[in-house]
Amino acid sequence: MADQGGSNHGIARTSRTRTEEQRQKDLERIKDYRALEDEVRHHAAKNDYSPDVFALTSKLLRLNPEYYTVWNVRRRCLISGLLSKLSPGSSPSKALPTSSPTATTTISSADFSSSLSTETPPAPEFQTTGKSGTTAEEEDEEQTRQQDQQNDQQILQKELHFTIPLLLESPKCYWIWSYRLWILKQVIERLPVPVARNIWEEELGLTSKMLLRDQRNFHAWGYRRHVVEQLESPELEGKSLVESEFEFTTKKISQNLSNFSAWHSRSKLIPRLLDERNANDEARKAFFEEELNKIGEAINVGPDDQSLWYYHQFLMLNLVNSVEHPTIAPAFTQEERVTYLRREIESIQELLEDYDDAKLIYEALFDYTLYLCQLQGREPNEQEEKDLKGWLGNLKKLDPMRSGRWADLERDFGLKE
Amino acid sequence: MTQSFTSLPQELQLATSAHVKYIQSLDSRKDEYDYWLTEHLRLNGLYWGLTALHLLGHPEALPRAETIDFVLSCQHENGGFGAAPGHDAHMLSTVSAVQILAMVDAFDDLETRGRGKAQVGKYIASLQNRQTGTFAGDEWGEEDTRFLYGAFNALSLLGLLHLVDVDKAVDHIAACANFDGGYGVSPGAESHSGQIFTCVAALTIAGRKELIDVDRLGRWLSERQIAGGGLNGRPEKKEDVCYSWWVLSSLEMIGKTHWIDKEKLTSFILSSQDTDKGGISDRPGDMVDVWHTCFGIAGLSLLDYPGLEPVDEVYCMPKSTIKRVLGR
Repeated sequence: MADQGGSNHGIARTSRTRTEEQRQKDLERIKDYRALEDEVRHHAAKNDYSPDVFALTSKLLRLNPEYYTVWNVRRRCLISGLLSKLSPGSSPSKALPTSSPTATTTISSADFSSSLSTETPPAPEFQTTGKSGTTAEEEDEEQTRQQDQQNDQQILQKELHFTIPLLLESPKCYWIWSYRLWILKQVIERLPVPVARNIWEEELGLTSKMLLRDQRNFHAWGYRRHVVEQLESPELEGKSLVESEFEFTTKKISQNLSNFSAWHSRSKLIPRLLDERNANDEARKAFFEEELNKIGEAINVGPDDQSLWYYHQFLMLNLVNSVEHPTIAPAFTQEERVTYLRREIESIQELLEDYDDAKLIYEALFDYTLYLCQLQGREPNEQEEKDLKGWLGNLKKLDPMRSGRWADLERDFGLKE
Repeated sequence: MTQSFTSLPQELQLATSAHVKYIQSLDSRKDEYDYWLTEHLRLNGLYWGLTALHLLGHPEALPRAETIDFVLSCQHENGGFGAAPGHDAHMLSTVSAVQILAMVDAFDDLETRGRGKAQVGKYIASLQNRQTGTFAGDEWGEEDTRFLYGAFNALSLLGLLHLVDVDKAVDHIAACANFDGGYGVSPGAESHSGQIFTCVAALTIAGRKELIDVDRLGRWLSERQIAGGGLNGRPEKKEDVCYSWWVLSSLEMIGKTHWIDKEKLTSFILSSQDTDKGGISDRPGDMVDVWHTCFGIAGLSLLDYPGLEPVDEVYCMPKSTIKRVLGR
């Protein structure tokens, strides 16, 4: 099964012999670690999830953030005492009557949706004045509810802070990421929407930070996608973030062209982006050309970079696979498609003048020539066949590791000399 | 190819006996801090070690009775297995438990001394998200195509695949496909060799390989081989021995292993061995671990390295085990 936690990646092999002193030191550490572990397990076995046990899990998880059972103990500590009891079906958005004008300290979502502040607002204060017509009992209830929410917010935010240093140290640890998401789920279930939303918004900042440290960390990219999805959801009274996310990929790409994670994300955002812009045919065409120029310039600088060619291929597939996939410019005429493909083939051929040993260039020429034939529903003509054979010859020469693939192409397209 | 193996220098021969000793030593390292820090992987580790031993032709190198006892001691009332006694039940350790029991032919023990196949199946099935078809790792809800594959792997070995909504799960995998032919961890996620293995293997178990864009995927996978002969997990990343398994087995499932240079990959894996003390690392010169040892040897088996037991590309277990359990 796939789980990379605990395996050694990129750690240099050293002599495995320890001095007696080192061994004694290890034994000391083991003793302390196991004592702590025993204590946590001892309490958990008795279903004791008190604040003391909670404190022990902090200690243990700092030593070993991969210990999933201890994350679970921590969750149980939160649910079975530290956080308020969640009555089935209750949700804070229902609990806080948005129509109540007396809830003067309740923060409206509008205050935050446009705010760039990373500060989280305090939980709603007690209401000092009761709404006329409510009984004392109802007021008490409301007070308790707000107290609970304040308490919950404080605890949940502490939890988010707790995981940050652990994530920075172990950015690929599945358990930490998933615990953090679980806390954020509690945020939605327990806090008023505006507060919850603000907390979730801060997560975008966290993923940006993580992606600065490792631009390809797929945990961080996946986490970001999830956060965006939640921020767009009705649960958080969200609206589309597709424009700002698209902008984010542009920023990542400008920092480093060879960031396929960002190019990939872009490919996934584009169909929605254009739909939400209500882009007409002309706007779509302009968009397509802009993307083509952008990637063309990048390839000019790095013709050996797979990331760039994959994205270029994504654009070219938009010309040929118009029926199966949501496309950038579905209204392109056949003539336009052919023109674009021909133009790309020509400019890629020009690249060969400077880079005649870049195998990805030959591969692209080979592919796109076949795309062109496919688009026109015809076999390669004489010149094309000659070109295809020539490019394949270069591929074989430049990339002998994949000779089996070139042989298959040669056979499948009848290109044997 | 066989001829070229024998002409390889000493360091490029498989150090079988060193690896066997290395794996046998893993449970006697109780004076090492790391031994305790990795207890959450104990059952997975046993699966990795045992698989490597079976492929090396030394299935008896770990005592069978103790192996079964240990596995059963990890089982919870709900049928799921934790990583070690006292650890919570999780999909990953449950799948390892089923795989280990299958390898040592001990499903009967599960029935008589454990909580029975049906209960294990029930536990796994309870983790399916019936709306989307995907699976969670445990009751706390983390979802990932790794867990979907794990569920299919274990349930099919137990003969209980009917307990879950296979079609829904297949729809979910289809939604994880990308334009490059690969698959990600969830819909929208970037193609990743590890997730490709899980998705392609799950589709194979479900008998739905026709959904795979074989040419495009094969091409993406073959581009994972980089200059040194090793395979990486995504474009523009470093090579790593564990991808010898994820990429190669995926290529095998779609019939395209000849799209990479097998000899170069073989050399890369062999040069990542610690020929002296045993074990294989992520790349030459790094620290070894049982995870890379397992997937390195499994890769070599798929590469037809002489003297190794054939490995099943879908289950990452000996073909002989799969034949005995599934009759194929």
